Amino acid sequence: MKTLTILYDSKCGICRRIRVWLAQQDAYVPLVFVPLQDEFVEARFPGIGALKPDEQLIAISDTGEVWRGVNGWIMTLWALREYRNWSFRMANPLLKPFARSICHGISQNRRRISQWIFGNSPETAARILGEPECAEDTCASKDYGSRS
Amino acid sequence: MNTIVTHHLLYLTLSIVTTIWVASTLHRHGRVFLVDAFHGNEKLADSVNHLLVVGFYLINVGFVVFAVKYGDKPTDFATMLESLGTKVGCVLLILGVMHFLNIYVFNNLRKNAIIRHAPPPVAPDAHIARP
Repeated sequence: MKTLTILYDSKCGICRRIRVWLAQQDAYVPLVFVPLQDEFVEARFPGIGALKPDEQLIAISDTGEVWRGVNGWIMTLWALREYRNWSFRMANPLLKPFARSICHGISQNRRRISQWIFGNSPETAARILGEPECAEDTCASKDYGSRS
Repeated sequence: MNTIVTHHLLYLTLSIVTTIWVASTLHRHGRVFLVDAFHGNEKLADSVNHLLVVGFYLINVGFVVFAVKYGDKPTDFATMLESLGTKVGCVLLILGVMHFLNIYVFNNLRKNAIIRHAPPPVAPDAHIARP
C-alpha cells in the first residue's frame, strides 16, 4: 500500500481538527485527505457514493480497497507509526464492538460535538485554530517509509 | 596464602566463570530472537548479538573487579565462606537483572519489527476501481 486516502467532512470542526492532527503524525503509509464535499470525489473514486461517505469515515487504499466506519479508523491508526499498535488493539474482537459504537456515535453526532466544543461554525473554528487551508495534494502526512 | 587472598581469588574465579556462562548462554540463545527482529538479516543480528555480549562482559567483569575490596574482611574459614556467599550472591543477582534486561531489549526489538511489517488488522469492506 502506497497511500491511504481519507474522506472526511470538511464542514465539521472536529473532523478538520482531527485531519490537522493526523497530518502531523509520522506515517508508515502516507495519508491523503480529501473533503467529501469535493466535487471530484465521485470522479476520483467511482461508486463511492453508494458507501455513504457522509455517514462514516472512509479510508481508500491506492489499490481500491475501501474501509468504512470503525474499520476506516483502524486503518488510519494502522498507517501511523506511533499508533499502529493501537490499530491492533482496536481490531481485537473484544474491543471492536466498543470501538465501533464510539466511532459510530462520534460520526453521527460530529456536527453537534463540533458545535459544542467550538460553539461556532466550522469556518470560524478553523480560523481560531489557525489551520492552514487544505489544497488537494498538500494535505498528505509525512512519509515515514516502510510500506506493507 | 592467607584467608583474604584465598577469599579474593575464589570470589574472582566464581564470579567470572558465572559471567562467562551467562554471556555464552545469552549469545547462543539470543541469536534466534535477533534474527527474527532484523527480519532474517543474519549478519546484522550476529553483529548486534556480539556487541550486546561485549557490553554485558564489560559491565559485569567491571563490577566484579570493582567490588573486590568491599565487604567485611574474613578472619577465618567460616567468615571467609560467609563473605564469599554475600559477594558471589550479589554478583548473581546483578547478572540475573542484566539477563532479564537483555531479554526485554531483545523482545522489544522483535516486537517493533513485527509491528512495522504487520499487514492491516481488518479486511476491506468494499472495493472500488482505481485508475
